[in-house]
Amino acid sequence: MTQTANVSITEDQRDCYQEISNVAMGQAADLLARLLGVKVILPIPVVNLIEVNELRMALSGIENSETVSGVCQGFIGNGISGEALLIFNDTSFNDISDLLKYGGVADKSLELELLMDVANILIGACLRGVGEQLDVGFSQGHPVVLGQHVNLNDLVAANNYRWTKTLAIEINYKIEGYNINCDLLLLFAEDAIEVLNRKVNYLLED
Amino acid sequence: MADNSSDNFKEFHSYMAMLQNLDVGLVVLDREYRIQLWNNFMESHSGLHPYEVRDKQLFETFPEINEEWFRHKAECVFQLNTRAFTTWEQRPFLFKFKNYRPITGSAEFMYQNITIIPLDSSVGIVERIGIIVYDVTDVAVNRIELKAVNDELKRLSRTDRLTGLYNRGYWQECAEREFKRGQRTGRVTSLLMFDIDHFKHVNDTYGHPAGDAAIKNTADQLVMNMRETDVAGRYGGEEYAMLLVDTTAENAKIFADRLREHIAASTVHYQDVSFQYTVSMGIAELNDDIKSVDEWIDAADHALYESKEGGRNTVTIYKKS
Repeated sequence: MTQTANVSITEDQRDCYQEISNVAMGQAADLLARLLGVKVILPIPVVNLIEVNELRMALSGIENSETVSGVCQGFIGNGISGEALLIFNDTSFNDISDLLKYGGVADKSLELELLMDVANILIGACLRGVGEQLDVGFSQGHPVVLGQHVNLNDLVAANNYRWTKTLAIEINYKIEGYNINCDLLLLFAEDAIEVLNRKVNYLLED
Repeated sequence: MADNSSDNFKEFHSYMAMLQNLDVGLVVLDREYRIQLWNNFMESHSGLHPYEVRDKQLFETFPEINEEWFRHKAECVFQLNTRAFTTWEQRPFLFKFKNYRPITGSAEFMYQNITIIPLDSSVGIVERIGIIVYDVTDVAVNRIELKAVNDELKRLSRTDRLTGLYNRGYWQECAEREFKRGQRTGRVTSLLMFDIDHFKHVNDTYGHPAGDAAIKNTADQLVMNMRETDVAGRYGGEEYAMLLVDTTAENAKIFADRLREHIAASTVHYQDVSFQYTVSMGIAELNDDIKSVDEWIDAADHALYESKEGGRNTVTIYKKS
């Protein structure tokens, strides 16, 4: 095990993370709503310190779907690194296609466009929101397609994780009047949690 | 003071040299998609000098760019002040450049990842966007080749060598999936099992290679008659299994009888010998009494056994006794 194996967060810190995520996802939802002209239903973000191999359980919002598609994008700033994961229930695509005004039936390549469009908006805006509050500018790597129409377990298990623990923020977006269900996960690396905790403590002191 | 500004200028100049020499494409576009900046990478690969493209409209200069697609991405950046990323998996390239390695590279064109960033957003209004073009040809080619190899391995691991049908392992997987789907959706599905009559006799009389020819011929007849949605596999030595989705037992029997007649009418030629043979078939339609795939297969097997008992070269539908 690594020397940081006993990282933890207090209840206060968890509340603070939840509050930060709330603001950030609100901004992201606002952008999405402006782009699409729809009402985005805001969930309560779920903040958890989990074992990386429990990642599957963190994806509570889409556990019932048969197959999913997902992209991930790495980010780093001020020594805080992590990955954003955006996972779509495959049944969402026809409705997304309507929303993004691409028209036509969503084939695999159109679905990829849709996935990337939504990922660009949600991941970018969420990271910016979190970054602004913590006073961190995040650099984003290029997004990577994890898979299309694959089993959820295959999607998240395909990686050989080096971390044991991750701070996971799960935001399950839904759009009013549409059958769209997607999970945005911000996963912070184990060694980033300590830095994050310090930043959050600073906010808590005010 | 003068020294200071000349130092600043030198510094600025060296920054520009850095940007110019980056092995990454940098383009700046204004709100009307006119080119404002064009670095050395773009110049080298496009063969167009910055003064040739300056203030030119992007889509007029590069008609190969899908305007609707690119505008869709870029407008997000202009309107929402967020970055946009596109990968080579969506579109292999934005600018159609030749492969950097014309001799040893296997790709014809440069695969590109694109990042579009908002610029001049100090007052919250995005007046320009920056395009960063990454050459990802090696990554893309490797990924594509890996996928092709994996697909081929997957195909081989699923296929029975002699017949080209699915092998037993993969067919069983398909059956499990179809069984679960049937249970969940209540969709009608039938399972057909059949084998070659007196196969031992064929082997003993004409030799094993001739037996193999009969096995192959049966598979060929099967493939010729089956629908695209049917899932056929070689279940055992001279045994075949097939899933007929959205098909009742009665309709499956119509198919099965036609296949049985075709097989009976066909002649196997192996070296100097020619012979004919027949098959016996059993069908089981999925219903609520069947609790597992094994029970489903057993039911079809049972019907097959009845066909054997009843004189062979026939089709029997399973009935619960």
